[in-house]
Amino acid sequence: MDYARKLFDKLSVEQVKIELLNTAYGNGNTFLARLDPRTMFIWYLFFGLVPWFIHDEILLAGMLLFMIVTTIMARVSPLIIFILCLGLLGQGGYLLIVSFLFGGDLTVMMPLILLTIKVSIISLASITVFCSMDPEKLSDGLLKIGLPGQVSFSIAYGYRMLPSLIEEYHHVFLSFRLRGKAPEKHGIFYYRSIIYFVKIAMLSFYPLLLSTAKRSRTTVEALETRGSLYAFNHPKVKAIKLQHLKIEWRDYGFLAFSILYMTFVFMIARMY
Amino acid sequence: MTLISIENVTFQYPGAEKPVLKDVSLTIEEGEFIAIMGSNGSGKSTLCKLLNGLIPHYYVGDFSGKVTVNGLETSEHKVAELSHQVGYVYQDFENQLVRPRVLEDASFAPLNYGLSDYKERGKRALMRVGFVGHEDEFIWQLSGGQKHLLALAGAIALEPNILIIDEPVAQLDPQHAEEIYEVLKVLNERDGVTIIVIEHHTEFIAEYCDQAVLMHDGEVVWKRPVREALVAVEELYSKQIYPPQVTQAAYHLNPEDTLPIKLQEGIQHFTVHEEKGSAVSQEMKIETESLVTFEDVHFSYKTINRKKKKILKGLHVTLQKGDRIALVGNNGAGKSSLMRLMTGLVKPEKGKVNVKGLDTRDYPPERFADLVTYIYQNPEEMFIEDNVRKDVEFFLKARKVENYERQVDSILAQFELTDLQDRDSRLMSGGQQRRASLAIGVAMNPSIILLDEPTANLDIATRKHITKLIHSLKEQVEAVVIATHDMQLVAEWANRIIVMKDGEIIHDGNRESVFFNHKLLELAGLKAPQILELSRMLGMELQYSVDDFVAAYRKVRERDEHGLRTQTV
Repeated sequence: MDYARKLFDKLSVEQVKIELLNTAYGNGNTFLARLDPRTMFIWYLFFGLVPWFIHDEILLAGMLLFMIVTTIMARVSPLIIFILCLGLLGQGGYLLIVSFLFGGDLTVMMPLILLTIKVSIISLASITVFCSMDPEKLSDGLLKIGLPGQVSFSIAYGYRMLPSLIEEYHHVFLSFRLRGKAPEKHGIFYYRSIIYFVKIAMLSFYPLLLSTAKRSRTTVEALETRGSLYAFNHPKVKAIKLQHLKIEWRDYGFLAFSILYMTFVFMIARMY
Repeated sequence: MTLISIENVTFQYPGAEKPVLKDVSLTIEEGEFIAIMGSNGSGKSTLCKLLNGLIPHYYVGDFSGKVTVNGLETSEHKVAELSHQVGYVYQDFENQLVRPRVLEDASFAPLNYGLSDYKERGKRALMRVGFVGHEDEFIWQLSGGQKHLLALAGAIALEPNILIIDEPVAQLDPQHAEEIYEVLKVLNERDGVTIIVIEHHTEFIAEYCDQAVLMHDGEVVWKRPVREALVAVEELYSKQIYPPQVTQAAYHLNPEDTLPIKLQEGIQHFTVHEEKGSAVSQEMKIETESLVTFEDVHFSYKTINRKKKKILKGLHVTLQKGDRIALVGNNGAGKSSLMRLMTGLVKPEKGKVNVKGLDTRDYPPERFADLVTYIYQNPEEMFIEDNVRKDVEFFLKARKVENYERQVDSILAQFELTDLQDRDSRLMSGGQQRRASLAIGVAMNPSIILLDEPTANLDIATRKHITKLIHSLKEQVEAVVIATHDMQLVAEWANRIIVMKDGEIIHDGNRESVFFNHKLLELAGLKAPQILELSRMLGMELQYSVDDFVAAYRKVRERDEHGLRTQTV
């Protein structure tokens, strides 16, 4: 009970906000964070897609090992890892139970583990990439590879607004709590309390939508006067904006190392 | 040289029933520092949006007339071109900051217009407003005053020669507001920027502006030099604008006099011959039932880089029945944290908070909702339903209180919301929203009400109205705590004042002990109301409102004259 409460304290909205922002902006000085976004895109294209087409256990294990190393290098927040593990275990466990129910036996274990490894590789690759690129970098990268300015601006702006949105959501959520009435008994497995919290967590979105719609008026006017529309239509602006993006030796080095490593793993896999 | 000329402009927003601007004409000379006064809805903001071309390019309504800014006719030039002439700082300036980091936001406009030295321009702008050393900080880590400076820097990054600021005082505490005005003064005097402020705090107008425009109901009533503008007391009253307190006081004593508009002039204007000892009239403090106790309370919160920031450092305080407490001090002094600890929403890191005998650590906040109501600074965060009535009855309904409808009716009547009860609270005016949030709080029938900045963002007329409603609260609850920068409210309402600084209580007393203590005021960054300051500097007993001052001054004068006569005899 006490333990549950401690966990609950950790999972406050405030904490979630801090973790989210840290994931987005907090890892600016790792090796991976200094890479050019284009390097990250290429790297991610490989490790995000290829695992689906590989069935060799050793090859997959090698990739997983590499992903674990990069995840550590990216200094990913523990909360994210925790959620990921929970998701993986939950999914694997549920498939296992289902297969038992429908007459499967222990032979399903192997393919299940394989699937879980694949999903883990892809998830860890995603986490590595997105924790290492702050939203600014991501949006600059997308702009560089030819996405429209509006898209890349929206990403950066979305993150700029995220903390204030979470804060406002938190306030609304607390308003519900302070004026509502929590169930007097928790019920079996806390089900009453859980229903109560889930309900207000959902209801809290509505006031947020309305007030955000209202506030955006100033933002839109300010964007207009501060020339963002002008910027979208003038390629010269894009060039100035992106002149800081450069592919350097560390980008080549990182890609070269990844290729070497994968070749090595591939060779080991061939030998056995 | 005429910089701006507005000729016979009439404008109606699309879908509106009547025009917001009616045949408006106005000229503004280069280098002026001009204030635009007028009550809510008089068309001040709309007038300013004519100047950067948002009207008629962005708001395509019914527009007639001609606006020329620095030789450019606004209807023929794009917003982009006009932006180089005019910078705009909004009232809700937080929403105009669109980039995550300080320097990125300051250099946003130069970058968008393709100026390759955008970073230098951003830096220069930050330097000009005196906001340096924060280039790489995140927007959400800044305080309100810092955000305003940043919005200002963003607005002048293109080096426009016209700068518009919409109600700088409304959102900031008095000390920060003064800082902003000092920055504006420098921009005006050193760099020759023409400055237009929308403002109804006439004490600031008297101190900083040289011209004032009065607007009413979509029309420009006049444009006058500030002195002439502010001494038109009756006319300003009729438009719900209050001249500086010294001006009001002098006017009430003798309307024919040349009226002072600044504090210094006031001191010369009023003369008190006989220096009277400044007797501190101590109200007897009667110990009554204690409601809330803080015992050695420490509190801190985590910042984004996972570091802990200490907010409260070993607080000891007891709230008594019958207390009307004003919690004062700068932003970040820990006022909101102190109040939130009483709601049970946050728990102390160390120490104990006891509310009516219940340790806040042992119960969920829902339990304390029956005892303590916290009314947010931003009323919108309290609106969880889609109309006023539903919001007010939410608490009672959740608790299945019998006959709650009747109770709701009487509360709506008390806060003059009966006619508004079916409206969406978010679409109401600032004053109406504030009344709704008070009604929501009172409907919870608490023993203690906590109010966070209840009079912020309101024009003075509305502020007076809200103050009156706050006065009526003391009948309904056992104690009220208000965290505020509004010293007029403090002076007129509180029977106990707690001064906080850097997470500690540096004084706990009443209005005499606080306002007499000049050092304390300075230390805590507080600014006494002008009339109080005046009476203190004149060596009279402290007076907390214009009416009190007028009455007291008459008395003192009578006695002085009487004294002089007896001396000469």
